[in-house]
Amino acid sequence: MQLPLSASLPTDADVIIVGAGPAGMSASIALAQAGRKVIVLDMQALPGGQIFRGLEANLAAGCETLELMNALGPTYAAGEAVIRAFRETPGIDFRPRHTIWEVRRDGTIGWLQGNRAGYLRADHVVLANGAMERPVPFPGWTLPGVMTAGAAQTLLKAGRMKPDGRVVLAGTGPLILLLAEQLRRLGVRPVLLARTDHLRDQLAALPRLRFAALGPVAKGLGWLARLRLARIPVRSGVTGIEALGQELVEGVRVWQGDRVRHVACDLLIVHDGIVPSIDLAQGAGLRIGWNDALQAWQPATTEDGSAVLEDGASLTGGPCRILISGDARCIGGADAAIAHGRHVAAVLLDAKGSGPQTLAKVRQSLVPRLFLEAAFPPGLSADLPTGSTTVCRCEDIPATALQELLRAGATDINHVRGLTRCGMGPCQGRNCAITLARMIAAESGAKPVPFRARPPVRPLPLQALAALAGVDPRLAEVVSLEDKPQVAVAVRSTDV
Amino acid sequence: MSDRSCDVLIIGGGLQGCAIALHLARAGRRVVVIDKGIAGRQASGVNAGGLRLLLRDMREYSLSRRAMELWADLPSQVGDAASGCEVQLGTGQIAVAMDAAEWAWCQARADEMRRLGFHNEVLVDAPTIRTLLPGVSDRALGGLVSQGDGHANPAASASAFRDATAVAGAQIIEHCALQGLARMADGRWRIDTEQGQFTALQVINCAGAWGAEVAAMVGEVLPLDVLALSMMVTSRVQPFVTPVVIGIDRPLSFKQSAAGSLVIGGGIAGKACLQDSTSFTVMDRMMASAAATIEAFPALASISILRTWTGLEGKTPDGIPYIGPSTAHPDLWHVFGFCGHGFQLAPAVGEVVARALMTGKAEPMLAPFAVGRFTARAAA
Repeated sequence: MQLPLSASLPTDADVIIVGAGPAGMSASIALAQAGRKVIVLDMQALPGGQIFRGLEANLAAGCETLELMNALGPTYAAGEAVIRAFRETPGIDFRPRHTIWEVRRDGTIGWLQGNRAGYLRADHVVLANGAMERPVPFPGWTLPGVMTAGAAQTLLKAGRMKPDGRVVLAGTGPLILLLAEQLRRLGVRPVLLARTDHLRDQLAALPRLRFAALGPVAKGLGWLARLRLARIPVRSGVTGIEALGQELVEGVRVWQGDRVRHVACDLLIVHDGIVPSIDLAQGAGLRIGWNDALQAWQPATTEDGSAVLEDGASLTGGPCRILISGDARCIGGADAAIAHGRHVAAVLLDAKGSGPQTLAKVRQSLVPRLFLEAAFPPGLSADLPTGSTTVCRCEDIPATALQELLRAGATDINHVRGLTRCGMGPCQGRNCAITLARMIAAESGAKPVPFRARPPVRPLPLQALAALAGVDPRLAEVVSLEDKPQVAVAVRSTDV
Repeated sequence: MSDRSCDVLIIGGGLQGCAIALHLARAGRRVVVIDKGIAGRQASGVNAGGLRLLLRDMREYSLSRRAMELWADLPSQVGDAASGCEVQLGTGQIAVAMDAAEWAWCQARADEMRRLGFHNEVLVDAPTIRTLLPGVSDRALGGLVSQGDGHANPAASASAFRDATAVAGAQIIEHCALQGLARMADGRWRIDTEQGQFTALQVINCAGAWGAEVAAMVGEVLPLDVLALSMMVTSRVQPFVTPVVIGIDRPLSFKQSAAGSLVIGGGIAGKACLQDSTSFTVMDRMMASAAATIEAFPALASISILRTWTGLEGKTPDGIPYIGPSTAHPDLWHVFGFCGHGFQLAPAVGEVVARALMTGKAEPMLAPFAVGRFTARAAA
């Protein structure tokens, strides 16, 4: 059973792709068209990722979803072509409802579906697991009735549920403007859109505006114009918010410098931009860096998406077989993700001549981002939480508890986690790591460092683990303490 | 960091090192503790926190019993920080027999303990174990119970001993890796570190998994395996089990934390990387631990593992630590290789080793742990 460490294990596919969003779908289509065996794993039941979430079902529902499709608009409907191609291309083994809890640099993927789990292997792995919304720990953010723009969009797209009552939107970024416009089309009139960005941010970003960015910018200006026409109050330059209420959100306090305004509401939707999901890449031992402009972590990759191994020891050896694509590599939106997915496929196929072509499209698709990043800087998360404001919602850890430790000199984020339980809950730190790391960095002056990521990076039921399929025989041999005392039977027999 | 010359320099600021330093500092010795990282961040802070006499190796028994008394009286050592250590004694530890061989072993162990005059381990039959452990499998045949046992919070305990040691006057210098250890012409020790040179009359090697490397610096070969002992933590569940549950031949060990999560151990090792001071969880191996947990408690099958951790620990060939003076240098002590059961022993190790160093007299309690026990056997 013991294989030499140099021997490679049989693979399940040429390429395994994690995530069936724009990047994962476009990469898999190009790879499968070239005859490669591709497995695509996704958490959701349907392909599409976050941006095209539920699109297939909403299209199939016909007139039932006409109003919704109208409201979600062309950015959403644009996914139809790529989803159709994904479904129709032979050779793509799509496995929905698969959660990934471990990635290894040698091309091993730990998956979970229901109560079954196992490992799959491929010559290459493409992480196209997308982005997440930047956590925003403002006072009251954990109150029921406060949700993120992404969650509100999921309710629209997958739940076909639109908010009712008085809705306040707060934050920054294209997504919250788009959501406001989508809500308007659905007949929901937000009582306030509180923007943390400022006209001066957009003016300062103008030098970064390139021709290729004019389309997206015009789209955004169109949304804003329609919100104005509909007389939906929009305030920019908001410097802080606080959600108010006991059991449920009842209102929001909005600061614009020294001016404070109180607005009653039943739902507070917040958004502070999106950041790459790094948990899988980091768990695989890939290098993650802090991007100052983005105020977030980002995996180190080449333009082709090849990941870089972190220095030092690792669980498995050999070359790095992992590439990262789409928003998980670099926030750029759906068009950029599709372009990069295609490029990654071209690189893997080593297609003569097509590499430079697909790369040019990647570069072009990322151009608008230069402007957007500067025009919509992080706002709600700009000031670090203080006092009783919750940092870790799973374990209910307030900022004060952490500040005490930091002032006492704690500088290691894992040490702080061990002492406070901050980051130990079911979300495994995804919602507090960035906040705690920034708090530590603010004290120490060093760059923010994430928690150590060990498998499983997503919850894994005991029964699934107990019957794990596809284990690595080179690793599986149990090494244990064997510390059963040697008295009793053995000693007795000699004594007698 | 003013004092570069001291009475005793301790290498390693884990529980053992700090517990020894605490007693020495309180007795007025000038003590420096150096740690290559953060004190208590290795095996001391990341173990399961078990406080058990149950299935304790006979050679560790007297030390372990003394340690229980000291855990029960923790404020005398660490002051107010004791409350944060979450010491729970009297909640018990139970070894569950899941098959006939394990049950026969339990019976033999109980006989043996009775013969030796120890009464803390009690043999219980199948109906009793079902009362003690609601949810235990119908297949459980019985087990051994040590009612006085319990557990504590390891990270908080390591940190409490560290802080108390500093309050007692010892200097604790972190991020200060050892680079050289040599005897000077005047008989004192010269200790070179990444933060400069120190001199000391006595040196104690409490370097845990790195203990054998420190010993090798003075030409001493002490056999030690390095294991990356792994633990798993589940999501929170309704409180259902107070005692710590351990296996006999199975990789089973778990307790329910105050927060409701289950902390599952079982002594399975991940991949240890001593040179990089790191380790990796190997989920391919943790299967066995998950299977043993479900076998004993079938209702836990759908509970999810949220995270895992590993810590580097030294294991000696005979499963008990090295505690005693070096065979070549009576003023250099080795205190490491606790084989995954050093957490409970630490307060007693601190007290007894400090006493031995100050009186210069041999402590009978430490006799089984003589550093030269393998070399002596080889020579014989």
